[in-house]
Amino acid sequence: MTQRLRGFLLGLALCLPALPGAAQLLEVKVGIVPSQASAPYVEATQALVSRLASQGVPRDELEIWSPAELAALPVARLSGVKVWVALGTEAATALAQVQPKVPVLNALLPRSSFERVLRASGRRASARFNLLQLDQPVPRQLALIRLALPKARRLGVLWGPDSLPKAPVLRSLASSQGLALQEARLDEGTSLFAALQSVLDSSDVLLAFADPLVFNSSSIQNILMTTIRAQVPLVAFSPAYVRAGALLAVYSTPTQVGTQSARWVLGVLANQALPEQPLEPDDFEIGVNAQVASALGLSLDAKVLHQALKRQEQQP
Amino acid sequence: MKNFPHMARSGTFVFVGLVWLMTSQGLAAQTTAGVSEKDFLEEMPIILSVSRLPQRLDETPGAVTILDRDFIRSSGARDVADLLRLVPGFQSSTSFEADAPQASYHGVYGYYSARIQVLVDGRSVYSNFFAGSVAPGLMTVMLDDIERIEVLRGSNSVAYGARAMFGVVNIVTRHSSDTLGTRAALTRGENGIQDTQLGLGWRTENSSMRLSVDERGDDGLTGSNGHNRVQRVNFRSDWQVSGNSNVLLSAGWMDIASGKGYANRPGDGLRDTTFENKFVQVDWKEVLSPDQDLVLSFSHNHENYRDVAPYLPIPGLNLDGSGTTSNNTLTAQHTLRLSPVVRMVWGAELRRESVTSRPLFNTAEAIVDDFTRLFTHAEWRLRPDLLLNGGVMAEHSSVSGSSLAPRLMLNWHVTPEQTLRAGISRSFRPPSAFERRSDVRYLFNKRLLGVTFLARGNVAPEALLTRELGYLGTFPWLKSTLDVRLFDESFTGYIDGVPYLVQLDGKSYAPYDYFNVDNFSIRGLELQWKGQPWPGAQLGFNQTFSRMAFQRPPSETKLPAAMPESTSTLFLTQQLPSGLQFSLSHQYSEPLWVQRSGDFRQYIHRTDWRLSKSLRFGHRRGELAVTVQNQGQPYADFDKSFLFERRAFVTLRIDN
Repeated sequence: MTQRLRGFLLGLALCLPALPGAAQLLEVKVGIVPSQASAPYVEATQALVSRLASQGVPRDELEIWSPAELAALPVARLSGVKVWVALGTEAATALAQVQPKVPVLNALLPRSSFERVLRASGRRASARFNLLQLDQPVPRQLALIRLALPKARRLGVLWGPDSLPKAPVLRSLASSQGLALQEARLDEGTSLFAALQSVLDSSDVLLAFADPLVFNSSSIQNILMTTIRAQVPLVAFSPAYVRAGALLAVYSTPTQVGTQSARWVLGVLANQALPEQPLEPDDFEIGVNAQVASALGLSLDAKVLHQALKRQEQQP
Repeated sequence: MKNFPHMARSGTFVFVGLVWLMTSQGLAAQTTAGVSEKDFLEEMPIILSVSRLPQRLDETPGAVTILDRDFIRSSGARDVADLLRLVPGFQSSTSFEADAPQASYHGVYGYYSARIQVLVDGRSVYSNFFAGSVAPGLMTVMLDDIERIEVLRGSNSVAYGARAMFGVVNIVTRHSSDTLGTRAALTRGENGIQDTQLGLGWRTENSSMRLSVDERGDDGLTGSNGHNRVQRVNFRSDWQVSGNSNVLLSAGWMDIASGKGYANRPGDGLRDTTFENKFVQVDWKEVLSPDQDLVLSFSHNHENYRDVAPYLPIPGLNLDGSGTTSNNTLTAQHTLRLSPVVRMVWGAELRRESVTSRPLFNTAEAIVDDFTRLFTHAEWRLRPDLLLNGGVMAEHSSVSGSSLAPRLMLNWHVTPEQTLRAGISRSFRPPSAFERRSDVRYLFNKRLLGVTFLARGNVAPEALLTRELGYLGTFPWLKSTLDVRLFDESFTGYIDGVPYLVQLDGKSYAPYDYFNVDNFSIRGLELQWKGQPWPGAQLGFNQTFSRMAFQRPPSETKLPAAMPESTSTLFLTQQLPSGLQFSLSHQYSEPLWVQRSGDFRQYIHRTDWRLSKSLRFGHRRGELAVTVQNQGQPYADFDKSFLFERRAFVTLRIDN
């Protein structure tokens, strides 16, 4: 962790070869706003910066500000910036308030957080203020389940208020792929356990969508223990869940998010517009908990699954 | 927030501080209210660590039979001992004559079943009283609280200490979060069967709890003095202390009231006995990392047995077999993954066993045995298709000295569906307090009338050397699995009671003492086949062949028939339309000598069937079932004069 922070500081030093006073004289073209100085934001920032550098963007044309610094910056400092990258919800909120006149790419945050930022600032997703979403597209998640668990026919899902918007997409995809959905809707006050039990009773696999009302650090113990007792594998959305005991997860790493953001930043610098609709992550990783797999009598290889899924997505 | 400027003007920094605290808390609540990148990027507490994961069946160091909830329910059995007769290699009885219904693996030796280990949620439940009998322990929990029973067929002292000489019955109770709400069941039927069960489960934010209260009653075997009533209260709580640590607390009380004895045997007259058991167990589990965890466990157990019968030929003389016992066990166990191919567990256990009985030991003092156990077991994947399991248990008993029980087992996955096992192990059973120290005298008016047991401690631990070959295969054909175990068990120092002459107060007596009297071997084959031959059906077949061989003539002529030469069981469950389910089981066992009947040999032909209908009461599920045990002719159980006659009963059950 400290090493990563040191890496971040090093990255900052690389980006700012001159003193702040001197930097004022240079024209900053890309403004990067990580929400925090913790590991994932640092990794995304580093990947973004190094990708831009490797594509010929001079280091002194990039500058990194924290959300607090951004709010305090004089407007004159912002004028030269041609594109902004917000990493995380806090940064997106800060940039939505600043309302720059140039395109803003928000990354490293999920779709529903982005929509909350839009609602709070009265904006709409557009080429001027768009998202590279952190959450994986539903078709990719379903394709992974079909690859890893070809025998699974009944898919269990626990919806919370934040994940529910994904329900229509999942329902139509599941029915077209012959998967039966076992759904339960949770609200404040409903018993997670009863819902989980009823879903697990008639599911071959449980697909988790990020929603803090359903999946959080205090509920995850019970959820994982219950799924394992029921011999129903959990397919999750982050590597931490795989380490904790989920069978599988598909996710994009902060480095992948940084690298993909860089491609869009380069496009804007080459006078291309951002798309009007939120972007989905191109690159992803697959995590497999080998111990859970072997306990379930499965033999899964993350690399093989990754290659197969990539190949499927590249097919027309 | 409107108050803020007002308060700030008042200059009361405390208020400002408070408001700041409140608003910052409000903000924190706001950020956790919705999904954010944190849900994707942050760490989670590790739930499934290396030791929580079960080994695959084809990678266990030995043959395993798993009896799951569905099987337990559809078998119609009313207690664990009766279930175990459906496991290859097991012998079981329904009689309460000795202590409680017994079950043993690879032979009925002596009056009590003391050569297997029984664990309930990891807690060893053999009795210190009945020469280490596991029968009362098998009764500890009501069947509906059991998640599954894992039967490790074959010596497992490496993992579970001296008592696991022939094998281990590991009873895993249901997690308390799986038994929330109310459950109830009522069984009534022939033979005075009256079973009543009530379960309550509830949860708080970080814990779940279960309280089960039940009574199991019947009139016992025809011809016996059996009128048996078992009452139990069991509590289990699972508390998630923090992300990585949890505490299991269980406590229970059980009372077995049973009628024993014979009208025509003055020394074993008709009487009512009670066996009371109380226990508490606390396990603290800490997940240190995905590859390491630590379990600290403490349990305390207390037993109180009361068995007093008047000796009719001498009015005023009572024959007493009562006593109390207690044990305390403290265990620490560290499980870790050393590399992707090696995982291991090591730990230590301190256990104090104490038994007090003036009638049996002729002293008011407790007889104490302190055990110190060190154990380690490693699983090393030599190649993807080759798994080596090796371990050793070193045990020191303050009474019987030290012993070392090693085991080595190699599992080879010839194909992903076919596994061969080969292994060797050595295990011990130290003599029980009774076998070492018994001193049973009958006094009347301070005059010694008789001495039936007077042990002098000239007895060493029994040892078993096991060599086995195993095969486990899964076949898409009929969706079936086949498990075969070929065994050669060499038993040295079998302990039995032998009378000898002794002079006490100038008179001669012929009490029993215990000696290592026999060496023998048991060779044979066990086969377990399970399949789904057609939709909705589960079919199982078990077969055991065995032969006992003695180098010298056995000290006891009945001993070579301690294990039947051939036993078979067949089990079928069929799902039928409209929520009906039918199950049928048949058990056939070749002659087995029964406890107190001279040369009488017991044959068993027993057919049980059960028909159930699932019910719905609003949102609740339930079941109505009719069970018939032993549809055919009565067979003798435990004694040639005790008959197991047909028992039909009806069960109404409401699930949570």
